[in-house]
Amino acid sequence: MTRRTLRLHVALLAAVVSPVLHAESQEHSHTASVSEVIPVERAPGPAVLRNESRAPHTVEVTITAEPVRLSMIPGKSTVGYAYNGRVPGPLLEVYEGDKVIVHFRNRLPEASTIHWHGLHIPNAFDGSPFHPVAAGADFDYVFTLQKGSAGTYWYHPHPDHNTGSQIARGLFGSLIVRDRNDPLRGIPEKLIVLSDNRFRPDGSIDIADPESMQGGIDFENGRECSHIFVNGQIEPTITIRPGEVQRWRVINASAARVFRLAIPGQTMLHVGSDGGLFEHPVEVNDIVLANSERIELLVKGTGAPGSATVLQTLPYDRYSPQTRPQDWDKPRDLLKLRYTAWPLSRPVVIPASLRAIPAIDTSLAVRTRVFALGQGFINGKLHDMNRVDETGKLGDVEIWEIENIVGMDHPFHLHGFQFQVIDRDGKPEPFRSWKDTINVPKHSTVRIIVRLADFAGKWMYHCHILDHEDHGMMGVLEVN
Amino acid sequence: MKRWLSGVAVMGGATMVMLSVAAWTKPDKAKQDRAAQIARGRFLMLSHDCGDCHGGVVDPSQKGWLTGVRGPSQEFKIGPCYVDPAAKPCFTTRPKNLTPDNATGTGRFTERQIFNALRYGLRPEETPDVEITSTTPGQGNFPLHPHYLAPPMPWWSWRHMPDEDLRAIAAYIKGGLKPQTNKVLDSEGPPDFWASEYTVEKIGPYPAKSYPQSETERQ
Repeated sequence: MTRRTLRLHVALLAAVVSPVLHAESQEHSHTASVSEVIPVERAPGPAVLRNESRAPHTVEVTITAEPVRLSMIPGKSTVGYAYNGRVPGPLLEVYEGDKVIVHFRNRLPEASTIHWHGLHIPNAFDGSPFHPVAAGADFDYVFTLQKGSAGTYWYHPHPDHNTGSQIARGLFGSLIVRDRNDPLRGIPEKLIVLSDNRFRPDGSIDIADPESMQGGIDFENGRECSHIFVNGQIEPTITIRPGEVQRWRVINASAARVFRLAIPGQTMLHVGSDGGLFEHPVEVNDIVLANSERIELLVKGTGAPGSATVLQTLPYDRYSPQTRPQDWDKPRDLLKLRYTAWPLSRPVVIPASLRAIPAIDTSLAVRTRVFALGQGFINGKLHDMNRVDETGKLGDVEIWEIENIVGMDHPFHLHGFQFQVIDRDGKPEPFRSWKDTINVPKHSTVRIIVRLADFAGKWMYHCHILDHEDHGMMGVLEVN
Repeated sequence: MKRWLSGVAVMGGATMVMLSVAAWTKPDKAKQDRAAQIARGRFLMLSHDCGDCHGGVVDPSQKGWLTGVRGPSQEFKIGPCYVDPAAKPCFTTRPKNLTPDNATGTGRFTERQIFNALRYGLRPEETPDVEITSTTPGQGNFPLHPHYLAPPMPWWSWRHMPDEDLRAIAAYIKGGLKPQTNKVLDSEGPPDFWASEYTVEKIGPYPAKSYPQSETERQ
C-alpha cells in the first residue's frame, strides 16, 4: 500500500469527526511560509494546539495565519487561508481559571485579528476591528478564563469590513473551556464544526463580485454556499455504539447558513448553548443553530448494532421571500451516524441536573436600549469606527430590546459579555442559558439582559451574517 | 417691611403671570410651521389617494385610514398572473401600514427614510437613514443593491414632487397619525427587488428633463 493510499485509508477509517483529543497530544499541523506549497491532502478532524508552557494553570500556544494550498473538495486544490495550516483551525482547549497566552503571527498579506467569540475577557484582547494586527505583525492575546465560563466557543478574524472574506478563505477554529467538575465528565465527546463554501470550477474559493447578481443575493442572504463541511469534510461518518451516549459540541462557523439539526426518528438531549451547560437537559426533536451559535447535545445510540442513520439539517425559513434559495425547503444530510456491532452493556446515567444558572434580576436593570435591525444596518445607521453608538457604565445591568423590522432573520452578537434571554415576542424564555449570539427571527423582538461587568472599552454588537456585518450592520457600545 | 415684601411678591407673581401669558400668546414659529407642514401632508395624501391602497379607506374619519391591507381582497397580484391566475411568476404585494406603530408601521423609520422612499423608491426598513445624493447604485449613499417599493406603488411619479411636499407627507405620517397595530405580511418580489423594472429606460430620468422636451409637449 502506498503512503498516499494508506493516508486516504486512514482518513476514511478514522471517525472523521475525531474524538476531542487531549492537550498533551501532539499537533500534526504543517506550517508553511507564503511561498511554500502545502501537500494536497484531506484535512483531518481538528487538531489540538500544543501547550508550550510548563507553568501551572497556563496555556501558551502559537497560532499562525497564512495562505495555504489545501484540498477542500475532492480532486481539486484550493488556495485559502488557514490557522496553522488547517481548515478548520486547531482546537484550543483550556480549563476555567487558566491563563491563556496566544502568540498570534499574522503571515497573511492583509491585516487581521483573532476574535475570541463569546469569551468574557479584557477589551484589548477581544480581537475586534479596533485592534488590528498588520500584515506580517505579531500580537500576544493574554487573558484568564473566569469560573463558570466552561463551554464551547470559537475564534475567527474580525478586521474592519473584511471578516467575511477571511473566514470564507478558511480562518476559523474551535475553543473549549472545560470545568474540572464537569457534570458530564466521562461521556465521550465529538466536536463538530459546521461551515460552508463555494468554489469555482478550478477549485478556487468563489467570493462573488459585489456588483453581480450573485453578489446581491449574497448580500441579502449572507454568503450561503452549496458545499457544507463538517470539520472541513463532506458528509463524514461518526461511529457510535448501540446504547452509548455521546456529547456533541456543535459550532456553526458558516457565514450565514442556519442549521436545523435532527436525527430522523430519534430525539436528542439539548444540554448547552453558547456559554456552556443548561441547568437541565431538554429533550428536542430538532434544534435551530444560527451562524456563530454553539450547542451541546447528548446523542443516544438507540439504533440497532450495524445500522446507520444521518444527522440532517431540516428546512428553516430564515429568508425574505425574494431571495429564498431554490432548495431551501429540502433536508440535507450532514454526516452519517454508523452503529458498531458491539452494544454497550452498562447503561449510561445522564444527570437530571447539570448546574445552577443564577438569573440576572430584571429589577436591577438601570436602562432599556432598543435596537431596530434593518437590512444591513442597526437603528437606521451604518457602522462607523469613529462613532460610539451607545455608552454604558461598568457594572450596570441593562435590558436590550432587539427588534427585527425586516422579513429575514438576523443573528445578533454582543462582544465581551454573555447575556440571558428574557423573552421572545413577549413569551418568557422557558429555560435559562448563557448566550452571546441570539437569532432574532423576521419581524420579531427578543429581550435580553446583560451585566456590563469587569471590562471597560469599546465593544462591538452586530449581525453575525458576515456580509451584513461587513456592510455595516454593527454598532459600538462604549463601557466606562 | 412686611407689606413691602408682599408687594414685591405680588409684583414678582404678576411678572411671572405676564411672562407666562407672553409665552402663551407669543406665536411659536416652529410649532406653527410644523402644524402647517402636517396639514399640507394630509392634503397631499388625500389628493393622491394614498388611502385607497393603504387600507381601502379614502376618508380620514373612517376606521382603517392608512393602516395598510386587511386581508387578501386588498392584495395585488403582480406579474403575468394579473391576466392568467395560473401564470408564473406571480408576486403578491401588500400596501403597508403607514401609521407610526413601532412593530407594524412606520414607527421605526425617520422622516428622512420616508422621504427617500417617496423620492427614490427605496424601502425604508431596508435602506439606512442617510441623505442620498445620487441615483446611481453604490454612489452618493444610493444602495449598491437597492430594494425598491413593490408595484403598484407609483413612487416613480411621486418622486417628481417638490422636496417640501415629500417632507410634508413624511411629517404627516410621523406627526399627524396615531399608531395603529396592523401587521401586513411582506410583499413578494423578484430577487433584484424590482431593480430591472425601474431602469431609466422604463421610468425616465430623475430629475425629469426640462420642459418642453418631447413631441407631446408644446414648444
